[in-house]
Amino acid sequence: MTANETIHPTAPAPEIDASCRLPLLALLVGASVWLVVGTVLALIASIKFHAPEFLAACPLLTYGRVVAAANDALVYGFCLPASLAVIIWVFARLSQTVYTLPLVPVVAAHIWHLGVFIGLLSILLGHSTGFTWLEFPRGGSILLFVAFVLIAIPTAASFGFRLEKDLYPSHWFLLAALLWFPWSYASANIFLVAMPVRGVAQGVVNLWFANNLLYVWFSLVGLGIGFYFLPKLTGRPLQTYYYALYVFWTLALFGTWCGLPQGSPFPAWITTLSSVAAVLLIVPLIGVTVVFGRSLGGPGSDGPMGGPLSFVKFGLVSFLLSTLMYIALACPQISRLLEFTWFGVAQSQLQILGFLAMVLFGAIYYILPRALGFDFIAPQFIRAHCFLAGLGVVFWVAPLALAGYAQGANAYSLDASLNWLRISTLGLGFILLGNLLFALNILAMFLTWKLNLVKTLFAAITAPLKVSEVKS
Amino acid sequence: MSADIKSSLPKPPSDPRPEAVRTTLPIWIIVLTLMLLFLGGLYFDNHSGWFQTQVYGPYASVDQLELYQPKSGAAAELARGKVVYEQVCGLCHGADGLGKPGQAPPLAGSEWVMAKGYNRLAHIPLAGLSGNISVAGKDWNMGMAAMGAALPDADLAAVLTYIRTSWGNGASPVPMEDVTKVRAGLGARPQPMSHDMLMTMPE
Repeated sequence: MTANETIHPTAPAPEIDASCRLPLLALLVGASVWLVVGTVLALIASIKFHAPEFLAACPLLTYGRVVAAANDALVYGFCLPASLAVIIWVFARLSQTVYTLPLVPVVAAHIWHLGVFIGLLSILLGHSTGFTWLEFPRGGSILLFVAFVLIAIPTAASFGFRLEKDLYPSHWFLLAALLWFPWSYASANIFLVAMPVRGVAQGVVNLWFANNLLYVWFSLVGLGIGFYFLPKLTGRPLQTYYYALYVFWTLALFGTWCGLPQGSPFPAWITTLSSVAAVLLIVPLIGVTVVFGRSLGGPGSDGPMGGPLSFVKFGLVSFLLSTLMYIALACPQISRLLEFTWFGVAQSQLQILGFLAMVLFGAIYYILPRALGFDFIAPQFIRAHCFLAGLGVVFWVAPLALAGYAQGANAYSLDASLNWLRISTLGLGFILLGNLLFALNILAMFLTWKLNLVKTLFAAITAPLKVSEVKS
Repeated sequence: MSADIKSSLPKPPSDPRPEAVRTTLPIWIIVLTLMLLFLGGLYFDNHSGWFQTQVYGPYASVDQLELYQPKSGAAAELARGKVVYEQVCGLCHGADGLGKPGQAPPLAGSEWVMAKGYNRLAHIPLAGLSGNISVAGKDWNMGMAAMGAALPDADLAAVLTYIRTSWGNGASPVPMEDVTKVRAGLGARPQPMSHDMLMTMPE
């Protein structure tokens, strides 16, 4: 490392961080707003499920619309832009070079948030496409696609211009993620919205996309970021490079085929192939367990409890659990009991809020003070957020999984699962409180930065002319 | 401008690029992957219906679908006959109708089965058979119980039709009414048939 630094004229870390400042702010401020909006919508949906009279008079907040809007706000509003922000910074740091064309992602971030706004509004007004995870109508999804490509191009370019030629495992995961989303999102939108395929194929395309977004893309990004921050925050090297690479290839190879439940109305070869592929996910699962376990052990400084490392660790454990749940859902004996129940919802929520969101929180808490050059206004909120988010995810996901079991074991009876659903609302409440603390910190930081900018500008205008300038 | 802000603020601590240990991947994880791929292949072979688009779960192959397809007319008769044959007759005469040495004569290619009429044939399962009899050029000397006496007429007619038209036997089907007539003619407790008794009856 030090040897490399003497050979290449690499940029110093503060300069790299400063070059990512504008894209990071443009992406993260909007993302933190959507995070709160998404959690509030999810809370409304969760309450409505066991108390149907709650907000029943408002047609905008019908259960079906709120659920779709909440999921899309969390995934497209928070997870994707926040992931892109972290990827921008990680790529710039790994490349040891300043970020190329930082203004393109700034423009793209505004296009992205406009797309999410249009999409969410359309869903609440009843104009969703009707396909799970693809509810945004054409206008919204085109904006998202354009924005993603606009961010991916300069980010991939900063990978191409890297001064540090050695590849790190995160490069593989994150570069694949930059290519994976435009491919799967465009394919799914073309085959479902623009030129719809017929009959059975629609369901196949929809579930294929849901799997490629929520399982494959989320795992690529979460693991790529996790494998970057784990050694960085512990001060111990990642164990080992080739395990991480094996996880990458097996995840990319087997992950794409999963996600079509055995009981779904598709020809048997499709669902059989899907469950075989899901069971093969045992291989990346073992790989991540080895990397995670080995990289944690040994001497080093783990930092304070409740700091960024706690978020990343929680996220990686959630990944292991959610993959285990995903594999269980593909096994015939278990899927007969749990398929099409709340258990599947528990799995996807663990993947979104327990895994990717937690890894992103940890990364953002680490990155943002460095990119802006000053600390959070309320650093003590970070620990509170970590505690609330951890507690919230446990009380949100575990009752949902148990509700799924109760449903499956009682012939899909809803009554059996209602009490578990009431408990899960409590968990979502904790998550909302934590997310509010996160958004407050981000927004306060953004406002401080703006204020500093105005102050500096004002100081520059009112400053007396220098003697040298007067003379010439 | 921004440089001014930065200098007035605390410097972030230096954080180096994370490192990854580059030891070789152990072989066991690759062996495990290949074993899982092999087992997955076996499972796919048994459950996928081999890319046939008309096979949906929980069925696993086209053959299985055929078995559960509702049938009508002659096909239904044959399917019913096949099921009854495999439960009642197939144990001794074989699922392929070739018989078993020392146990039961063949039905495939048997002149008794393929006779123009089925009067003599219908008597055998209803009354049983004992003594010497020549089947397809070989002499058999053993007994058969009245295996068909307990079967409903429709089932017996179906099974007779099945043995007369399967395995290359090209004889005519047996209608249920004729089985009813033969049963009525035999009375309540018939004696087992013999070669000579059968030869006295019309074909």
